[in-house]
Amino acid sequence: MVSENLVKDVVSEPYKYGFVTDIETEKISKGLNEDTIRLISAKKEEPEYLLNFRLDAFKKWQKMEEPNWADLGYKDIDYQDIIYYSAPKQKEKISSLNEVDPKLLETFDKLGIPLTEQKKLTNVAVDAVFDSVSIATTFRKELAEHGVIFCSISEAIKDYSDLIEKYLGSVVPANDNYFAALNSAVFSDGSFVYIPKGVICPMDLSSYFRINSGDSGQFERTLIIAEESSSVSYLEGCTAPMFDTNTLHAAVVELIALDDASIKYSTVQNWYAGNEDGIGGIFNFVTKRGKCLGKRSKISWSQVETGSAITWKYPSCLLLGEESVGEFYSVALTNNLQQADTGTKMIHIGPKTKSTIVSKGISAGNSVNSYRGLVKMGSKAVGSRNYSQCDSMLIGDQAAANTFPYIQSQQPNSEIEHEASTCRISEDQLFYLQSRGIEFEEAVSMMVSGFCRDVFNQLPMEFAAEADKLLALKLEGSVG
Amino acid sequence: MQIIEEIKKNELLSNPSEIQKICLDKLKLNPLPNAKNELWRLSNKSKFSSFLDFSHKNKESKASLPYKKNSRNIIRLIIGEHNAINLEEENYSIKELKDSEIINYIKKNICNFDQNDHWSDLLNHCLSSKKNILGLNISGNKIPPIEIFSASSSESLNAKTLILFFEKNCKVDLLQINLGNENSSLSQSTYLCLEANTSVNHGVVSYGKNKSNLLNSLNVIQKAKSEYILGSLHFKFNYARFEIRINQLEGNAKTTIKGIQITKNNDQIATYTNMQFNGPNGILDQINKSLADDKSHAIFEGSIIVPKIAQKTDASQLSRNLLLSKYARIDTKPQLEIIADDVKCKHGATISQLNAEELFYMRSRGLTLAEASKLQLSSYFQEIISCIPVSKDRWDLLDKLLKEN
Repeated sequence: MVSENLVKDVVSEPYKYGFVTDIETEKISKGLNEDTIRLISAKKEEPEYLLNFRLDAFKKWQKMEEPNWADLGYKDIDYQDIIYYSAPKQKEKISSLNEVDPKLLETFDKLGIPLTEQKKLTNVAVDAVFDSVSIATTFRKELAEHGVIFCSISEAIKDYSDLIEKYLGSVVPANDNYFAALNSAVFSDGSFVYIPKGVICPMDLSSYFRINSGDSGQFERTLIIAEESSSVSYLEGCTAPMFDTNTLHAAVVELIALDDASIKYSTVQNWYAGNEDGIGGIFNFVTKRGKCLGKRSKISWSQVETGSAITWKYPSCLLLGEESVGEFYSVALTNNLQQADTGTKMIHIGPKTKSTIVSKGISAGNSVNSYRGLVKMGSKAVGSRNYSQCDSMLIGDQAAANTFPYIQSQQPNSEIEHEASTCRISEDQLFYLQSRGIEFEEAVSMMVSGFCRDVFNQLPMEFAAEADKLLALKLEGSVG
Repeated sequence: MQIIEEIKKNELLSNPSEIQKICLDKLKLNPLPNAKNELWRLSNKSKFSSFLDFSHKNKESKASLPYKKNSRNIIRLIIGEHNAINLEEENYSIKELKDSEIINYIKKNICNFDQNDHWSDLLNHCLSSKKNILGLNISGNKIPPIEIFSASSSESLNAKTLILFFEKNCKVDLLQINLGNENSSLSQSTYLCLEANTSVNHGVVSYGKNKSNLLNSLNVIQKAKSEYILGSLHFKFNYARFEIRINQLEGNAKTTIKGIQITKNNDQIATYTNMQFNGPNGILDQINKSLADDKSHAIFEGSIIVPKIAQKTDASQLSRNLLLSKYARIDTKPQLEIIADDVKCKHGATISQLNAEELFYMRSRGLTLAEASKLQLSSYFQEIISCIPVSKDRWDLLDKLLKEN
């Protein structure tokens, strides 16, 4: 008989990214009103249309109600008690990485993010976002040679205004939902990627989000456009220090894939999840959506969700183009008092569209882990197919694993398959592995890793190794 | 929606009974189910309001039954038209419950009812008169099959209630038939209590005529070592809603649910099941099938709830759907809510059309397309219909269905 405590010990690894960087920051005062938005817009020297976009979104947000349908319980968020803009003080313009505050570089170094020149050898271009602003974007010159634009969204607003005006809000409109409206009103920074026609992006692009300030929210916005026959793989990582207050993170990610284009968007989310008693942690309300506009376009979401006190996140695909493909691979791990309500939406609009959903949920401690997904076949989605698989693993008898798939079809000539199962770490398998001389912790780790294999296989190399390690660390101490 | 106005203005009943008063008070706060509530989200509002368009005050006509009782060895009862029942035989007994027993039972239940989750039952108890409540206590084995009819009258809204207590070691086949008349609404609430070691094979067949509506609510409580098999069939309703709530009170029980709903024309038929395991070693095997044609809409929502106490639960739920027209619509939502860790729970859902390869194979063997489709449909129906008791030999449901599809 395996001791439950022994397994529980395997999950309680302290959060190693919980340090705070002591750096002088520029913050605006708490509260949200039209003046706050005008101030953010002015600080970023934005054009008139963008200010109007923000103000319009703010008006819509004021009329909206915070959604309560998700299987989440959290204390009310006081939106007037949040700082909506916080940036580390630095020189006006940075021409090279050498001018970035060394403390910031050190922070990202500590997080394992290769911003400094000598570490750039990893062949991943990084856009590092610290609180409300983008600190640095690496490999820009090399990417520019291929015509790839990779910069912070603030720079893109200035330099590529036509693209921003055309695509911003075209996938996630300002009135889409409560948190998207809030983000549209106050978004501070984020990444912008444009891959021109026929270009296969020569390296993986990545953005790293770091919340440093305890009382400010992070509202980043990412926009990726893949022109005809182009392809890009984008990675996203996030961490935050340990505070005993909750910090709000409400991001919007918009992806657009034109004919034959493909976008792969991978996330390893490791925001601070709060302590064992559920104090502190990030409230993570994210709207991610991709539009497969072109024929044979493909958008693939893969995510490893291990952090945040509250996760509310449904990366979706709108499959408009004929034969377009949407994919969603997810591992969500919750421990202690974490709550996650996450899943995807696959909206089949065009004919012969295909989607695959593979979701693995692991619940330990007293956490609640829900999969909520929608698969919808529109009346024109002739010959479309969907396959969904949602598996949950329960660790301990206090955690909850829920599955809420919504399946809707208006097209007889389409096929939808959904399957879900729930299990726990089998003692027989543990016993078998241990009898072969494998340590208990390693055996648990192997089994969890095996459970998530379908998803890890979809992650880019750098992330797959990291995700495996992350999961093993997070799970330390919790199987029974 | 006249009834809703009457509830709001306190004009629904001139002299309400104690139960009716409790239910009216609950409904007054929230006379219509909240559209934001997940359980009512997919209900078509105009269709739902057509359910409430008929008056509950019209005189009830005698139910016209679809087939004759052609065997003596069947106990046939019609809710609202039955006389005092007191059958005492060598192996079994069927006795009508006393009024006080019925009142106490309903009162005990409605205390916990929520306006959204049990709206159908609350409305039923508001409208159901003493005459239309049938309560029976059934014990023994070798009980002849029991048929219970419930029918609505044209141009009216009728509410019928059925309460059945199955004593220990009881074994019975029960067929419940809900008949919807033209332009009518039927509200049927059923409560079954299965004591330990009972085995009940329950068939529910509901079919309507032109523009009939149905709100059918079924509440089942199962004690340890009981077995409950439900086979249900709903078809030909403008609007029908079948709510099944099964509670394995002590665990160690077995539940089988096999249901089918067939929608054509502009129908909307929805099935909602809620399976609650409140003890260990519970078993559930559920299949729900929908067949949607023309411009109709079929809905299935099923939830399985496994709290910490329900270790070793083994539950499977499958939703299989056939979408036969490009104007029809199917929504399905099988859901699992699990806390106990030592359980085996799974669900699956498919939506597709008739299997093209199988059709091709049959046609290559000389069958016409129509014959091949019929053959495929018959196998699709057969899995469910075989679970409906009594009907098997005499009332050939399958034939009836195939003729209509």
